[in-house]
Amino acid sequence: MLMTETKRPREPFAPWDRRTLPGLFDVDETAKRVGHYKWVELKLFEALGGWVATVPELDVKIRLGTHCYHHAWHADLFDKRLPELREMKTDRLTLPANDHMVAFIDAMTEPEDAAMTIEKLVGVYRVLIPHKIAAYTYHRNATSEITDMPTVRILDFILQDEFNDWREGEMLIQSMIESEEELDRAMIHQTKLEKLMLAAGGIAGPGSIGDAYVEIPEEN
Amino acid sequence: MRKIFPAEELARDARFIRQTNEQRMGDPRGARIAGGNSGTKLAKLTPELANGPDRARALMHGIFVGEIQALEGAGRTCWDFEVGEDVPLELKLDMARQCWDEARHCEISVALAEHMGTELGEFAENGLLYEAACNPDPVLRLTGVNRALEGLAIDVFNTMKEFGNMAGDPVLEFCEDWMLADEVTHVKMGSDWLRRLTENDKERLDKALEFQKVVDKLFSFNGFRGEDDDSPIQLTRRFRELAGFSDDEIDEIADMSREAKAEVTN
Repeated sequence: MLMTETKRPREPFAPWDRRTLPGLFDVDETAKRVGHYKWVELKLFEALGGWVATVPELDVKIRLGTHCYHHAWHADLFDKRLPELREMKTDRLTLPANDHMVAFIDAMTEPEDAAMTIEKLVGVYRVLIPHKIAAYTYHRNATSEITDMPTVRILDFILQDEFNDWREGEMLIQSMIESEEELDRAMIHQTKLEKLMLAAGGIAGPGSIGDAYVEIPEEN
Repeated sequence: MRKIFPAEELARDARFIRQTNEQRMGDPRGARIAGGNSGTKLAKLTPELANGPDRARALMHGIFVGEIQALEGAGRTCWDFEVGEDVPLELKLDMARQCWDEARHCEISVALAEHMGTELGEFAENGLLYEAACNPDPVLRLTGVNRALEGLAIDVFNTMKEFGNMAGDPVLEFCEDWMLADEVTHVKMGSDWLRRLTENDKERLDKALEFQKVVDKLFSFNGFRGEDDDSPIQLTRRFRELAGFSDDEIDEIADMSREAKAEVTN
């Protein structure tokens, strides 16, 4: 019987595996970012849960209840990652990136009236979740896929939820906007929140999605 | 958004009709729910009863609005309390999980109601369930909602599951069994958190158990839930044991129901 040649050497990385060792974030920076992500997920699932009682639209009510758990699960995943990044007291790093981020969450969670479902949905699905997708994607692509693979795996699971929830939320918004006045309401609220997010620099503060500009040395 | 959202402001579309419990009990359609507003009309829910199918429809609509309020209550527990100061993160994660479960239950029960020929809003809603979820003490809130009301849900779902079996309705039986599994989980959450949060606080434990009794009694009107053969909703010992109830606690609920029934019949 023909047997496999066991002594023939193979490379440790298969030819199609192009992962490299270096990443942009060290352990401390990763822990800091993960703490910011956890804080955002916590605030989001709390708000979605609180809003359920305040929205009269049955399909929105049920979706908010469903998405509430998705973000709670994300907070739990980040919470469990922190001790693996040398932060045993996870509350110590469960912090907003800055005061602007606190102001953003305060403004996003402010609408309560039953007639303000559009504002509630816009804050989450047109502002916060797109910024989360951007920051998580940057982190997932910029960190080392070897040394920090546990964070990459977590972010992959989370991003799948984020894309699905964003799509559902965006469709709910589109289904609710039936007049120019409602469109204006959505845009005004979005702009107000985007300005706060701009001041925050993204969900993890400045550098949430890196810096795309090139520094040009000054000419003498 | 405020902390503690009042029951009278729960957001509903135009199809929903809100009534007080007294109004609801006086509503002739309410007779279908409990088998009558006096003890003599009480009877176990079976398809053979002349009003059995209508009572089952009314009960399913009641389950649906109850699931909405359970979803709202669990959601408010995520919002009303601060992690660390008031409750551990894990408690909120459980409540968020419960939100998802209750959201699915809303979907299941509204689809089942339609399957049984009921229109949304055909029967009235009262806010009693959600009111229990407004207690400012998270331990009392969880005990009232997760042990008393979700405990009642175990009995209701088991009764509906049996009704589905007797009526030869596999869809009803299948769905009720799935919801029953979730409810056992929710009651167990309540039992576990009650134990954990009152481990060194006997006074708080006593207050929570007292609140549970008040809620249990509130939902034992006319003794409609009990262990007697003619109880419209059968108290389900096996699933309550799985969810962390002791034999003594189950006996107490059965006794409470008998007393309530005796009060009406005498």
